Amino acid sequence: MLAPLFFSLASRSFQRQIAYRAAALAGFFTNFFFGMLRAALLAALYNARPEMAGISLAGAVTFTGLTQAMIGVQSLFSWYEVMNSVYSGAVAGDLLKPMGYFRFWLAQDAGRALAQFFLRGLPMMLFYAIFFRITVPQTFGQWMAFVLSLGLAWLLCFAWRFWINLAGFWTPNALGLVRLGFILLYFFSGFLMPLRFFPDWFVQLSAFTPFPYMVNTVVEIYLGVLQGPQLLQALAQQAFWAVVMIGICQLTLSAGVRRLVILGG
Amino acid sequence: MGLYFRLISVQIRSQMQYRLQFVVDMLATMLISVASFFTIAFVMQRFGSVAGWSLGEIAFLYGMVETSFGVMDLLFSGFDPGNFGRQTRLGRFDQLLLRPASITLQVFGSEFTLRRLGRIFQGAAVFFFAISLVKPHWTLPHLLFLPFVFLSQVLFFGGLFIIGAALSFWTLEALEIVNIFTYGGTEMMAYPMHIYPSWLRNFFTYILPAIFLNYTPAIYLLNKPDPLHFPAYTPFLAPLAGFGVFFAALAFWNYGIRHYQSSGT
Amino acid sequence: MPPIIQVSHLTKYFKVSVHHRGFWGAFRNLISRQYRLARAVDGITFQVQPGELVGYLGPNGAGKSTTIKMLAGLLVPSGGEILVNGYLPWRERQAYVAKIGAVFGQRTTLWWDLPVIESLELLQYIYRIPGDRFRRNLDEFRQVLALDSFLDIPVRALSLGQRMRADLCAALLHDPLLLFLDEPTIGLDVVAKERIRQFILHINRARGVTVLLTTHDLSDVEKLCERVLIIDHGQLLYDGELTSLRDRFGGKRRLLVDFAQEYVDPQVEGAQITVREGSRVTYEFERNTITASGLISRLSELYRIRDLEVREPEIEETVRRIYEQKLLENH
Repeated sequence: MLAPLFFSLASRSFQRQIAYRAAALAGFFTNFFFGMLRAALLAALYNARPEMAGISLAGAVTFTGLTQAMIGVQSLFSWYEVMNSVYSGAVAGDLLKPMGYFRFWLAQDAGRALAQFFLRGLPMMLFYAIFFRITVPQTFGQWMAFVLSLGLAWLLCFAWRFWINLAGFWTPNALGLVRLGFILLYFFSGFLMPLRFFPDWFVQLSAFTPFPYMVNTVVEIYLGVLQGPQLLQALAQQAFWAVVMIGICQLTLSAGVRRLVILGG
Repeated sequence: MGLYFRLISVQIRSQMQYRLQFVVDMLATMLISVASFFTIAFVMQRFGSVAGWSLGEIAFLYGMVETSFGVMDLLFSGFDPGNFGRQTRLGRFDQLLLRPASITLQVFGSEFTLRRLGRIFQGAAVFFFAISLVKPHWTLPHLLFLPFVFLSQVLFFGGLFIIGAALSFWTLEALEIVNIFTYGGTEMMAYPMHIYPSWLRNFFTYILPAIFLNYTPAIYLLNKPDPLHFPAYTPFLAPLAGFGVFFAALAFWNYGIRHYQSSGT
Repeated sequence: MPPIIQVSHLTKYFKVSVHHRGFWGAFRNLISRQYRLARAVDGITFQVQPGELVGYLGPNGAGKSTTIKMLAGLLVPSGGEILVNGYLPWRERQAYVAKIGAVFGQRTTLWWDLPVIESLELLQYIYRIPGDRFRRNLDEFRQVLALDSFLDIPVRALSLGQRMRADLCAALLHDPLLLFLDEPTIGLDVVAKERIRQFILHINRARGVTVLLTTHDLSDVEKLCERVLIIDHGQLLYDGELTSLRDRFGGKRRLLVDFAQEYVDPQVEGAQITVREGSRVTYEFERNTITASGLISRLSELYRIRDLEVREPEIEETVRRIYEQKLLENH
């Protein structure tokens, strides 16, 4: 019953994204430029080594392309929309909509992510294929696992972004806190470098957080580093964290809404 | 100058009214830089060096750029392209035009974002970490040259901010391109430039002289071999490049103001 | 005395990009961008004498703000001439703006996080106002604008009305000869509007400051201006006294009456019934047929009235009537 509403929200958000063509184009070139710098750095680090921690140089270069492509799709660095809607007061109207507040934003983020996939994600991989030697998944099954993993990563990453934005319900100066939330993601997700390159203690530490499942897992599945049972386990962990994170979001949200109602916005 | 200090003191007092927010923001700014540096430090433990440069030498490049960019970011906050563009759309620039004082001076005095101190502290810490690792045998000329390199970098980045602010008179959408040169420039200059593909390096040598601001001076200061075979005087071009970009930017800025006054927004 | 504002054949064109709408339109925007030339101000000529208080009217998007921005030196004209107070506003900016004041609608010139008084002191420094003159002016404005209750409060915490008062004070501390006001009463309640109007009259009468104000609130104009300029689509439609504007183009006034009981057909001579909802009846009448008080006394002889209200025609309607009557041709 609610599906049409979900799709209409997603489609409107998709169109909004498409409308900002110059911004998307500029964003794409910025992402690609940074990707080139990161690829050059990795090439210099490899310095004629054939591989490191199970990742070839071509794999490492592909890693930079994939992560740069995910910046837009996952909105890895910034997303303050829920916080801003609390501050602008738009939240009051949105809470009355005939669908949950989380789903309301999930629908819009789905449209946003899909638009960014076409505007910045896919072109990034195409550019990488032209400028660099990159690797692609070898089997149909691996492609399917990658797509599934990317979808789960998006859901989990959205839930994280949504959750840190909820700080806006508690304080009028939540910007710094939300920013801190993005820094954690930036550091622990394996965005900067494949987590396999980090010291073991760091990898073990980050495995207790939801962050590796937002970026690193997707990359490792794409590169074929994870196979068979390991791959299935990784997907299961992604799904587990997505469910946990969504649950935390709903609990926090209802507390936030209670607070908003008591304080009268 | 009296006016400048009065305007700055207003900005500082304003930010001190939101002390908690200031601390959180500064921490966030600092943590982003810390996360990037720790990542490269961790990864270098595995790989050993970046194309012949040790961790201490990389940290030297990194610390220099982070500190000078941080100082610039503080002094030139008023020109921060994205923010300046938004403020201009809101009519703030018109307000400055209505006051009988130099426009450029007023823009310098319109922001002084103290949280950028976080980046300066972090950059300085990395710089001194680098010195402790590298233990360079500096003589008086080296020590006299160092502040000039630093000042040149500040002016260079400041020039880029001014160019970005001037561009925002035409378009806000394409501003992310400016990020390629500012934020991309710092990222790039934090590593030895010979790791980049030659066309990219040539652009940042002959079009935008970024290479002369950190890399070639570091070759002299750290006594590294120069795989690019620049002439022996090249390290000392830093002030020329820094001041050159800065004054070219001021000229473009004045041109931008004339455009703004003939087109509005 | 020579005019303080001289504007002749002033024009301003803008390039406007054309956007396509809808889903496929978004894709088309991605590929191509088209421009058209918009004439915001299209050849206007007028003069203002020192000490005048002139209302500059017109519907939204008529070119009011563009004109004011050119007069204040923020925009360079595409054509025509402007001479204000002996200056070309945009060319000799610093010298020129030292002698004018401007308040643009809801945008404050004050520093958001500073107490009002500190903003004013900073402006004293910027405009190099001598100490005794600053204190004298401040004392006067404090009284007339009743600033004392919020001088020590940061601007961000002020109400809209308080902020407008503080901004007016800020715009006048340096004794400008000329004051530009863009929508000075927009968004304010009745009491705040009245206070602002009183102050504008005060500085015009007592200090001889020439005032040019834009508004689309006709009651601002009625209470303040003897002379009005009306602009639409970038062209000057009317330049003259307010009273004659009223008489010639005022359009129908309306009387909203709430009767004490429901009458079957409460007709009255000189006015037509346009709306009837139970005991509430709306009449329309021409100003040169009957006055409002005449109509009210006729009605109260015939019926029992609980409440009533006179509505003046909207400025949009007046402008439309001027346009329809092709005033352009004989002006």
